[in-house]
Amino acid sequence: MPKCTIDGKEVEFKAGENLVTVAKRVGAEIPVFCYHPGLSVVAQCRMCYVEVEKMPKLQTACSTLAAEGMVVKTQSEAVKKGRAGTMEFLLLNHPLDCPICDKAGECDLQDNSFGHGSEFMRHSEERRTYVDVDMGPVIQKNMNRCIHCTRCIRFGEEVAGIHEMVAIKRGNNIDITTIDGKQLKTEYAGNYSDICPTGSLTLKDFRFKKRAWMLKKTATICEGCSKGCNMEVQQEGNVVYRCVPRENLEINKYWMCDEGRFNYHYVQDPSRIVSPMKRSGDSWLVSPWEELLVNFRTDSAGTGVMLLIGTDLTLEEMKAIQETAKALSPRAAILSFGTPGVESTTQDGPRDQILKMKSKTSNLKGAEMLGIQPLLGAAKSDVVLVFRGGRAELPRIEAKKAYGVGVFLEKERNHFHAILPGLSFLEKEGTVVNHQGKEQSLKRALLPRGKSKAIGEILMLALHQRNGEVTA
Amino acid sequence: MLAIRKPGFLNRLYLIEIIRGLWITMKNFLFHKKVTLQFPEQRRDYSGRYRGQHYIKAVNGVENCTACMLCPTVCPAECIHIVAGERDDKEKYPVKFEIDSLRCCFCGMCEEACPKDAIKLSNIYEMSQQNRTVYEKDFLMEQRGNK
Repeated sequence: MPKCTIDGKEVEFKAGENLVTVAKRVGAEIPVFCYHPGLSVVAQCRMCYVEVEKMPKLQTACSTLAAEGMVVKTQSEAVKKGRAGTMEFLLLNHPLDCPICDKAGECDLQDNSFGHGSEFMRHSEERRTYVDVDMGPVIQKNMNRCIHCTRCIRFGEEVAGIHEMVAIKRGNNIDITTIDGKQLKTEYAGNYSDICPTGSLTLKDFRFKKRAWMLKKTATICEGCSKGCNMEVQQEGNVVYRCVPRENLEINKYWMCDEGRFNYHYVQDPSRIVSPMKRSGDSWLVSPWEELLVNFRTDSAGTGVMLLIGTDLTLEEMKAIQETAKALSPRAAILSFGTPGVESTTQDGPRDQILKMKSKTSNLKGAEMLGIQPLLGAAKSDVVLVFRGGRAELPRIEAKKAYGVGVFLEKERNHFHAILPGLSFLEKEGTVVNHQGKEQSLKRALLPRGKSKAIGEILMLALHQRNGEVTA
Repeated sequence: MLAIRKPGFLNRLYLIEIIRGLWITMKNFLFHKKVTLQFPEQRRDYSGRYRGQHYIKAVNGVENCTACMLCPTVCPAECIHIVAGERDDKEKYPVKFEIDSLRCCFCGMCEEACPKDAIKLSNIYEMSQQNRTVYEKDFLMEQRGNK
């Protein structure tokens, strides 16, 4: 492999790698604004200056490919002066909005200004201001904060496949906006906020909810579809405030769709059922676990029982249901449900050309691996036990007795006679298999709400109780 | 043998000692500056740096606070709770601003962290209450104190 020298350290590289990537390997972090590994290179912001021997001027590291024998300095005096100059230009028009800006704390401009800029400012002229266009329900725009890195424009063109953001006018009057001031149409709009190096494009959903440094982060997997995008859940005090994508070049690269990003809302919906309940007439009564577990046990032991497993459950939960069913209701038919029309992986496929898959549940492949046959049409049986993680679409249930185990909202409980509340994908650990067959782990980000219990625990309690008392 | 000295007649009167003692009392009473003061009517002037009851500084009736959450971040007692919101005349403002005064340790870090000079500790020191007190935003918005 060819070698070059960065800050006196020799480093190997593959042909075609640029200096930002190569320098990272020797621990030299080069500040960037416009460069993003998932987008094309434009070298507009001029922040990533490095000094290359035998080249007369400073070079932008993002657009300079590493070459055999190249000697690069990333910390020389000329480089520092160049970066400080760039920082000063970028901050000419940037308002001191940090106290009210949602990006503060995770802002590239803040970090690089702190690391490479000057603490004083030399100009005293008025800053330019803009009237902001409405960008639709996902993104809040604040053009005053923009540094024209054009990451958003390139993201739309190259990743989201829709050219909806443009730069109009030139020079100091440049305006990054949507074409004709229309609202954003893409279903991947949340990414605009992630890639924006300043607080120019922020999420409306997250607006003023929390500051970035207060959030506790957990790396987990999105359960929105069978793609299995890697994401990070950011919560504080058992309340999720947002989800952001994590880098995984084999699955979702750096991106995530809005459906998956805002999917977490149902977890903390006030209408989510978090206490065991049973129907009495038209109303619902909160009942003790013991009573419902006795009923659950007796009803599941009879004939004509159908077990429905949502394909949004983890492999562990599915296996636990399969295994306990042998003792709990040996004659039951075990079927899976998830997305109507996408009952097997052969029917699954990409919904668009970016990330979304047709199956709206995360573990369709896993259910097939465990040999669970899909349910076709309505669920007709004497007793139907539905196990669901919260995302799988409920089938039509025609039964004398129906139990729901898992996550249900109040509007969904009319199908059932009793609800045993379970854990959502943010409250449990487990394995899901995405459409490529990759096994990925869910990590617990939240504590369970209310009296909900894990499905495995519910099954064990039902199996080992005698008249409500747990014996084993 | 221990000789017991009998005091003389003048000493037995104690008159000189009484006059001497009275003189000291009268000297302090008449000619010295008083150390105590009549509290509810008279108040002591504290230094401008005294850290007493909190208030939120307002200019023309609009609070300086932009709900940047730096004070709850820096607060070692975690006694400040802010909920941010948006209104027409101000992009970000505190919808709720509460200080749990019993938790507060009056360290003044909130005042130091504030980028907008909004939260201040005044020189008001009479804060005794009969129940647990949480200072609400309306209470804090009243301009009290000396700053």
